Amino acid sequence: MDLFDKLKELRQNGLDEIKKASDEKKLNEVRVELVGKKSELTNILHSMKEVAPEQRREVGQKVNEIRDLFNSHLNAAKDEILAKVIAKKMEEERIDVTLPGRKGHLGSKHPINIILDDLENFFIGMGYKVVQGPEVETDHYVFEMMNLPKDHPARDMQATFYIDDENLLRSQTSGDQARVLEKHDFSKGPLKMVGPGKVYRRDDDDATHSHQFMQMEGLVIDKNITMSDLKGTLELIAKHVFGQDREIRLRPSYFPFTEPSVEMDVSCFKCNGKGCAICKYTGWIEVLGAGMVHPNVLENAGVDSNVYGGFAFGLGLDRFAILKYGVTDIRDFYTNDVRFLEQFRKEED
Amino acid sequence: MLVSYNWLKDFLNIDEDPKDLAEKITRTGVEIESVIHPEEGLKKIVVGHVVDCEDIEGTHLHLTHVDVGEDEPLQIVCGAPNVAAGQDVIVALHGARIAGNEKIKKGKIRGIQSFGMICGMQEIGFSDSVVPQKYVDGIFVFPEDADVKPGQDVYEALGMDDYILDFDITPNRADTLSMEGAAYEVGAIVDQKPKIEEVVLKADGPEWTNDFEAKVDEKLAPKFYLRKVSGVKIAESPLWLQTRLWNAGIRPINNVVDATNYVMLLTGQPMHAYDARAFADGKLEVRKANQGEKLTLLNDKEVELDPNDIVITDGKTPVMMAGVMGGKNSEVEDDTTDVILESAIFDGTLVRKSALRHANRTEASSRFEKGVNWDNTQKALDMAAILLRNDANGNINEGEIKATDKDRKPAVVKTTISYINKVLGTELSSDEVVKIFDRLNFETEVNGDDLTVTVPNRRWDIEIPADLVEEVGRIYGYDNLKSTQPVLPTTQGGYSEDEMKMRRIKNIVEGQGMMEAISYSLTSPEKAVRYTLNPKALVEVQWPLNSSRSAMRQNLMTGLVDAASYNMARKQKQLALYEQGRVYDHDGGNFNEHEHLATLYAGNTFSDNWQHLTQKIDFYFVKGQLENLFTAVGINPEDVEYRATEIDGMHPTRTAAMYLDNEYIGMIGMIAHAVTLAEKALRGAELYGYELDLDVLDEHLQKGMTAKAAPKFPSIERDLSILVKSDVTNQEVENVIKSNAGKYLNDLHVIDVYSGSHIEEGKKSLAYNLVFLNENDTLTDDVVNKAMEKVTEALQEDLEAKIR
Repeated sequence: MDLFDKLKELRQNGLDEIKKASDEKKLNEVRVELVGKKSELTNILHSMKEVAPEQRREVGQKVNEIRDLFNSHLNAAKDEILAKVIAKKMEEERIDVTLPGRKGHLGSKHPINIILDDLENFFIGMGYKVVQGPEVETDHYVFEMMNLPKDHPARDMQATFYIDDENLLRSQTSGDQARVLEKHDFSKGPLKMVGPGKVYRRDDDDATHSHQFMQMEGLVIDKNITMSDLKGTLELIAKHVFGQDREIRLRPSYFPFTEPSVEMDVSCFKCNGKGCAICKYTGWIEVLGAGMVHPNVLENAGVDSNVYGGFAFGLGLDRFAILKYGVTDIRDFYTNDVRFLEQFRKEED
Repeated sequence: MLVSYNWLKDFLNIDEDPKDLAEKITRTGVEIESVIHPEEGLKKIVVGHVVDCEDIEGTHLHLTHVDVGEDEPLQIVCGAPNVAAGQDVIVALHGARIAGNEKIKKGKIRGIQSFGMICGMQEIGFSDSVVPQKYVDGIFVFPEDADVKPGQDVYEALGMDDYILDFDITPNRADTLSMEGAAYEVGAIVDQKPKIEEVVLKADGPEWTNDFEAKVDEKLAPKFYLRKVSGVKIAESPLWLQTRLWNAGIRPINNVVDATNYVMLLTGQPMHAYDARAFADGKLEVRKANQGEKLTLLNDKEVELDPNDIVITDGKTPVMMAGVMGGKNSEVEDDTTDVILESAIFDGTLVRKSALRHANRTEASSRFEKGVNWDNTQKALDMAAILLRNDANGNINEGEIKATDKDRKPAVVKTTISYINKVLGTELSSDEVVKIFDRLNFETEVNGDDLTVTVPNRRWDIEIPADLVEEVGRIYGYDNLKSTQPVLPTTQGGYSEDEMKMRRIKNIVEGQGMMEAISYSLTSPEKAVRYTLNPKALVEVQWPLNSSRSAMRQNLMTGLVDAASYNMARKQKQLALYEQGRVYDHDGGNFNEHEHLATLYAGNTFSDNWQHLTQKIDFYFVKGQLENLFTAVGINPEDVEYRATEIDGMHPTRTAAMYLDNEYIGMIGMIAHAVTLAEKALRGAELYGYELDLDVLDEHLQKGMTAKAAPKFPSIERDLSILVKSDVTNQEVENVIKSNAGKYLNDLHVIDVYSGSHIEEGKKSLAYNLVFLNENDTLTDDVVNKAMEKVTEALQEDLEAKIR
């Protein structure tokens, strides 16, 4: 057989064998056989001297041509086999993506602290310092310094847990005002603070009463603070917490530590003022108490009330949370039922 | 105070919608809690005249015929015991609506046709507490003086066409606890001068003061006036007066008692009427009670008097608790003929304490404790006397006794127009300010910027310039104030440094999947010191609500265990709770508060899943979480020393006290079986947790840090397996390794612990992975081999370890 016929036959057989190879191992054997060091093609190249010189060039070309063809078919076959292997493997590895994932613990904040953090950030943004005072307080700071001398009838408004004649569980965070006022150096600038914390009252626990709850106290004192400033500040708070389209109403009220004293109502966010169960059909919801700091409170703390003045406000964080989240029983905040608490994970602060 | 809109019209010319007026009063003066229109919802309720009435045999029922202004009287079956022929009564006709939106229809009762219902007051909406005693258990009968005709609606005659404004007063505005006070307030709001009636009294009875001696301590009663009215006939009050009383929430009693209550409602001055027979010796004394004295009050309550109660006596025995309530022994009764009227001012604080002490608050005592108008003592006394003449046929005796008569001058408050504007943020002219005080009926004097206001005694709440600011502000209208922000030098807002650290810790714990809880600080004395390594003196409240809330907690764990119990009772067994809060003690006579953090875990690391890939929470899971927390706040967990310790409430062999630089920072472990077995909901549960004292930890927290580059040189690892006695702890082994491995030991951790078969009894096998690293150079095997050699030698020597 002439060398060219042989090459032709080699080419055809080679291609057939590549086609037949069904897995990677067989394909490798075929590769060695067809283009390896001991393959027929290599042999032919190695025995070129036996070929007539005028044919050498052509044979060489032909051999290379076939080898390139083999290589490209081998590679294609390899890719094909690999694709099949991968396809098979993937099929074997198919999972039901609709099955649920494994769940570890998911953290959450207490709803009252969500409200608290939000308010703290709000006030910090406006230049208020966050101040904390003791919960086991003295009659002196909670009452006397706040213009509530002993036998003041307004003391009846608050049933206080006394520890002894002088010490008590604070029934309001106002004591923080007195402590801060005593210490503040007005030559270094105005006083702007909020004081959040737990307070205690001798109330039997029921849906609307709790012997423990959280308040936040605010105080701004300088030389030229007006009641209009108080109104503007309260409006910001109301809108921040209850929505930008809220209206507010200031009602005259009475607190021994402020004069004038007001209570702020916001237009009911449930019914928009039309009247519903939440606002007791008044269209308004009472949210906080405030006023211009009573001169006696300033003087008691050694601050000259002829020079300095300002406003104070106090709000109930539990009440805010109740209103904002539609909670119907204040005890839910303290029984720590996980089914209640886990709802607040989605609430950002 | 329930204020009648119709009564207000006696003082003011108003025709405004009562609800609109209420809103104005709320925004300007006193919150109006509600506006009640008693006839609202009622329909077809008319006056009827009972023509005849006979008993229906064998029943308690009566068959009546009632004239309701139609051609024929209606036949009505009535069960009330007090129905009788000749009465004018309240009739609900067929198709009527009575209280509770109940519909009345004609029908048959015991087979007898009934075309309507004769009503008691409660059935048309009156509260039990205002219905005259004799009508409480039956129907209401119009008194003879009532100008009513059969068939007309009952509403006007009974005062039900009125609107009742509920003044929810703050303690400083007790001046509105009277119709006159309310009229001044509303007058200022609607800019009208109220018509306040003056009283002129002419006596028509004999002189009486010469035969009566009143001895009064001025400190107890700075004003004490008496009059005598003789020859009274006790009867029902006229209907107009009764309606005013019940619309104010007061039950009519008889024409004498009603007169005193009416005068109190009108003037705000509490009054009292004594049967003159109580002062048989012609003597009266106002003094403090003596120890052991007793008095039976008008409400039949027998009280043991306290030496701080003010009493009125007949010279010997108390006959009244001053300012609170009269005594049974001086009560005006049906056969009373001569009455002593008292109009007085008593010490408010003493009255308040008496009322509290004897749990006997009254309309009178609440007025005395909040203050009364010193200018109305005389008027109230005279007015009550006149009412007794008009309504009870009495003769007002000549003369009155003023046993004490202390004068109170109106307050004169000086301020400036500019001060008022400065506080309010307004620009009111002096004319505008004067106009406001004019509306309030306060006299003013202006001199340039200076303003002097004379405040009448009826507004005893006003004493200082700030009080005047409030008056101007509220009448001007808080709605009219601008909304501004304080113009101030910049202030730096923010948290304190301690607070920042605490918030960081909370964030990490939350990121670890913990759910935040808030528990009560008050707990039982036992729980307050459970889970506490060194209990301190307790902070206990004097009058706890109950014994389980009487002491302040010294640990947070107890609240979390309570929460676990609550949740497990509700089948919530997968718990990861934390609380950050304070604990309280009374150590060394000081009240101390410390910030703590506690966590409590129950259930599994993963919630139940179809792959069954989860593990029970155990000590080491919780410890791992805690170690991560330490790392995250910059405390090297290896610096924390765990000492197995027994703590009340904690599992005695699975609990450790933790120390940092030999300072106690908290504890970690399992809740004791003694706790979980004792509570049904917790039985069988394994609860693990830790509690940290953040105040102590705080001092160890890193502030700021300097970064260093990741290591450039490779590290070399070695494993080491040893056999030691069972009671050797991991800590002991690690201590030996660390102190012998040299400076290149970079990481050390235990990779296996084994005891059991294949191993000698009383021994255990431990395996460690050691990582060596030289941050400045490539480490050679030689160096590491030498280090390992030193380690193994030391282990053999110090712990009798066998190297495996």
